[in-house]
Amino acid sequence: MLNFTPEEKRVILFLLIIAFCGITLNNLAKVNYRIKKLICPQVHLAKIDLNKISLEELTRTRCLPIKTAQRIISYRLQHGNFSSLEALKEVKGIGDQRYEKLKGIFFVE
Amino acid sequence: MKRLFAFSAVFYCLGIILISLTRISFWLILGLGIVTFAAACLSFRNNHIFVALVFLLSLILGALSLKNSYMRHKCNISNFVFYNDDTIYGLSGFVDSQPVTENKRTSFVFRTQEVQVNNLKWLCNGKVLVKMDFPQNLSYADSLILQGVLRRPYGFSSGSYSYRDYLSRQEIYLLMHIKNSLQIIPQLNKGGSRLIIFSLWLRSRMEQVISRYLPVLPAGILSAMVLGQKNSIPWLVKDYMVKSGTVHILVVSGFNVGIVAFIVNLLLKIIRIRRRQRIILTIICLFIYCLITGASNPVIRATVMGVVFLSAYLLKRGADIYNCLACAALFILGVNPRQLFDVGFQLSFASVLAIIYLYPKIKSFLRLDNCKNGALKFICEGCLVSLCAWFGTMGIIAYNFRIIAPVTVLANILIVPLATLITLCGFSLVLCGFFCPFFGGIFSTTAAMLITLLLNINAAVIKIPGAYFYL
Repeated sequence: MLNFTPEEKRVILFLLIIAFCGITLNNLAKVNYRIKKLICPQVHLAKIDLNKISLEELTRTRCLPIKTAQRIISYRLQHGNFSSLEALKEVKGIGDQRYEKLKGIFFVE
Repeated sequence: MKRLFAFSAVFYCLGIILISLTRISFWLILGLGIVTFAAACLSFRNNHIFVALVFLLSLILGALSLKNSYMRHKCNISNFVFYNDDTIYGLSGFVDSQPVTENKRTSFVFRTQEVQVNNLKWLCNGKVLVKMDFPQNLSYADSLILQGVLRRPYGFSSGSYSYRDYLSRQEIYLLMHIKNSLQIIPQLNKGGSRLIIFSLWLRSRMEQVISRYLPVLPAGILSAMVLGQKNSIPWLVKDYMVKSGTVHILVVSGFNVGIVAFIVNLLLKIIRIRRRQRIILTIICLFIYCLITGASNPVIRATVMGVVFLSAYLLKRGADIYNCLACAALFILGVNPRQLFDVGFQLSFASVLAIIYLYPKIKSFLRLDNCKNGALKFICEGCLVSLCAWFGTMGIIAYNFRIIAPVTVLANILIVPLATLITLCGFSLVLCGFFCPFFGGIFSTTAAMLITLLLNINAAVIKIPGAYFYL
């Protein structure tokens, strides 16, 4: 038989544990929809909700000039919540290039 | 002297720093070097003087290598372009990096071989950063003819950072902006190295495996942690990690290189390959992994350290960790001495140095070895490693990024063990995806759950009052 070192034995045990965990989670996800939330990260962990962010938070992100951030907030106050991310293009100072950048930062629920 | 290599590396770095602050001619330094070398030869029998002169020679060598790196070849493409030059240049060459497409724009490094100006052709060399306003399906080693205006990069200086300096450290002195696909003429032949082509092919296959089993966000994070590809990580995730001081988990480091060495060794052991051949094959695999991950400074450091350790094992010699680190630093700085001023290089070496120097000292001071509770000891050791790394890198981070994050230690205690598990899951997933795809789903589910947990913890720790503050 092969003579495994303690480290190698640990690796084999680790792989087995991961496999057991994976099968259990797979099974639970099929039965209970809430488990799916544990497996797939929620969108708010990766993007900022454009309809909930305040001016202070928006300027703190440093991904927009202050004036554009102010325009986004005033647009939201005038027209209500953004219905889609495409509506960002209607804000003065956001062209196609900037919109492409902002698409990866914000989301609209 | 036990750590001759380590001290030589320190003097080599000092030479680079000193010469960057002064303006001394290359030939004067060379003359000084010859005199020192002659003196070292004459004082061969006096050990103290000899060692002192060897250190001085290391310092001079560092200075000379930096001066030499500033000198461009006579045929360098940058010598053909004048300031504010609107001439249309035709460049023949090949794509020298994996093209990156972001926001419908593609950019890559182009290695020039021939330049055409006003129907006159010259042979040339050097690199140009190409930025295209449209996505284009290109890959490393594609031979192209590009037509456009060549510009020198702007400084964009904000504090200590300058975009021009950043590019010049990569030996890029010119930019070409391409607005129209008619400016690109593809050629049939291929340039570049076959080994890099193979590594990039392997990387794309691995990325396919990861994205096949995982949703977009976890796949992006896993690609960064296993393959060093950070393109698909959302801005917010990166921002949160910078604020919590855990962004280092997205960088391929010594830990990943160690895992690769371990896996390769284990697989070769299972198929009963002898120890000597196993070590040689592991070293080859480490080189390939280094290329797959883009050969960034932390990976090169870890690979060189791993190779030195394995070679010492092969030669049945003890390896000193400081000498290994020095070896890695000398390797990187020997190729490009300007890397000393790169933040990535500084952070990588500072963190490792802080861990290997401070960790044993603090550990013995706190008498952790006497602790009988295994779990408590494990947690304390984890905290200590994070604390040492934070001490080592805090100054560099504060100076360059203007941020101090006291939450770093806490965040690392929680996140580093998770990141370790995720990386291990990632490697298992990639291997499974290659050899038995049916089992891939088992590892991917666990990896996705761990990544979700990591993101939640990260988002929670930065909400602690006083978690971070900008300077």
